[in-house]
Amino acid sequence: MGSWGWVLAGACAVAVNGLARHLVLLLGRPYRPEMARPAGSVAQGVLYAFSWGMLPWAKESTRRHMLAYLRGVVFHLGIGAAFLALLVGPWRAQGAGPLRWALVTLSAGGAMAGLGGLLARVVETRLRRLSTPDDFFAVALVSLFTLAAAAAIVVPALVPAFYGLAAATLAYIPFGKIRHCFYFFFARYFFGAGFGRRGVLRWGKVHE
Amino acid sequence: MSESVQRALAAFRRALDRRVLTALEVCARCGICAESCHVFASTGQLQDAPTARSEAVRRLYRRQYDPLGRIFPWWVRAGEATEGDLDALSEAAFATCTLCQRCAMNCPLGVDTALIMKAARAMLAAAGKAPEMLVQLADAAVARGENVQVFREIYREIVADLEQQAQEQLGDPALRISLERQGADILYVALSGAHTIVPAAIIFHAAGADWTLSAFEASNYGVFLGDPEKARAIARRIVDEATHLGVRQVVLTECGHAYAALRWEAPGWFGGEFPFRVRSIVELLAEYIREGRLRLDPSANPLPVTYHDSCNLARKGGLLEEPRVVLRAAVQEFREMTPSRAEAYCCGGGGGLVAVPEYEERRLRAGRKKAEQIMAAGAPLVATSCENCFLQIRDLSSHYGLAVEVTGLMELVVRALLGARARAVRVPALQAA
Repeated sequence: MGSWGWVLAGACAVAVNGLARHLVLLLGRPYRPEMARPAGSVAQGVLYAFSWGMLPWAKESTRRHMLAYLRGVVFHLGIGAAFLALLVGPWRAQGAGPLRWALVTLSAGGAMAGLGGLLARVVETRLRRLSTPDDFFAVALVSLFTLAAAAAIVVPALVPAFYGLAAATLAYIPFGKIRHCFYFFFARYFFGAGFGRRGVLRWGKVHE
Repeated sequence: MSESVQRALAAFRRALDRRVLTALEVCARCGICAESCHVFASTGQLQDAPTARSEAVRRLYRRQYDPLGRIFPWWVRAGEATEGDLDALSEAAFATCTLCQRCAMNCPLGVDTALIMKAARAMLAAAGKAPEMLVQLADAAVARGENVQVFREIYREIVADLEQQAQEQLGDPALRISLERQGADILYVALSGAHTIVPAAIIFHAAGADWTLSAFEASNYGVFLGDPEKARAIARRIVDEATHLGVRQVVLTECGHAYAALRWEAPGWFGGEFPFRVRSIVELLAEYIREGRLRLDPSANPLPVTYHDSCNLARKGGLLEEPRVVLRAAVQEFREMTPSRAEAYCCGGGGGLVAVPEYEERRLRAGRKKAEQIMAAGAPLVATSCENCFLQIRDLSSHYGLAVEVTGLMELVVRALLGARARAVRVPALQAA
């Protein structure tokens, strides 16, 4: 393993340890499940929360802010692609052409969406006032990481920059706002389970 | 750190369960939720957006629980709690958030700001920063449960008067209102005031239900305070009464928060399911109509009616179709508001706001969105099945010049019931002629 391998492994260890600490903290808090007789299905609510409920037209808010929501979706797809690019990095030379270009397209698109989001945070008064310094830094860091992922596939000379940004992103995950990637799954579960149990949400759509 | 701030932080620690912690951690501050809040939609002010409101709690949370917030507070905008912070938070948690959860339905990540605000209310109540009126109402309800014998005798006399009123209205001397009758099928829990007892008595009698009246009122001001001890003490009166009487169902009158509290939250406070079902009168009305136990004449309610979904009954309670079953049977023309059901806007009176006189101006301002919806529906009659919504919409009507009447579902059903009875008497008379 080269020196970048050690750096990335170290950053990965920081991320895993940090998120494990968050898991311990979360599980250390009391769990107060609803004990009332259910009126609906927890499973259907959770299914809704992770599928239909994430579609852009499923909620009034995302219908209203369609562009911002889609920007977020593209950004997160790009982040996923960037991590995939990091994972398959050692086999970059053997990688099939279509996979490489899919990764380039997704990461580049994600980077543009991320940088667009950063610009929106600077320009839009509402977003700027809501944001903390951590928000600006986290979006900038992850956008650059995603951009570097795309660039490094096309220009191999940029691989060290990509690895450096990947290490920084990984190491920052447990500390800043990026850790919402971990809490997201719990939040959507609680949302779906709660409203599902009460018979408000069901698979397919909000109960109508 | 002052003593009240210490009490606040201790209460916050107790309230910080997995769901609250998740809601505090997961927000990405995208701001997409803003317009889903009826307060922001009405005022347009950033501090009224759910994200901004919950950031006031996150600020204190990060300082206490987040390593970055302790080392570099400015980086994540963390801050030590001060008396001033608690005063500002009291405004956000009690005066502008009705705990309606519309923002939770609309957050792409699932942030439940209402949960955060409930935790905030708990810490503010512990610090003595909750509205005095809510504290007094909760304490009075707890005291009433402790001195129930004195109160019962007075109530028995009142019930006898109400029974007479109901008999006269229905024209049936056989109608009876029993108080805390052992072994009845239904224990009906009303609010203070004849308007929640007389129509219910007429409906139960007409449907042939085996029911009895509770000695307590349904409302639970402990819930508004976010104070689990008071909420449990207030709910315990009804739970003990129902258990003692051996009823099969506790049926709550048209009251949103009472339903959400006793139906959904209270079993958790007492460690498990109750030996009886908890239902809203709205569910029972729909059931009686579906089973053909109530003969209704919709022409007795000839004016177009629109329906306001109480957040506690619909979005938080799952009673989405039942009111519509009732309305379709009881009125001649029913018009939906848009949006409705789980996506309905809060009227602005929930969360205890209606009970606090000093919040009047703010809650009327926050009700602008609902006023616009009512105007768009174009119906002169607005039905709702929650006392707080009823009061708020009545106030909105006069504040915004809506010129609408507000009514409950029970009232519409009674009118339709009396209409059907009058018609049944008229038709044979005509046939005989």
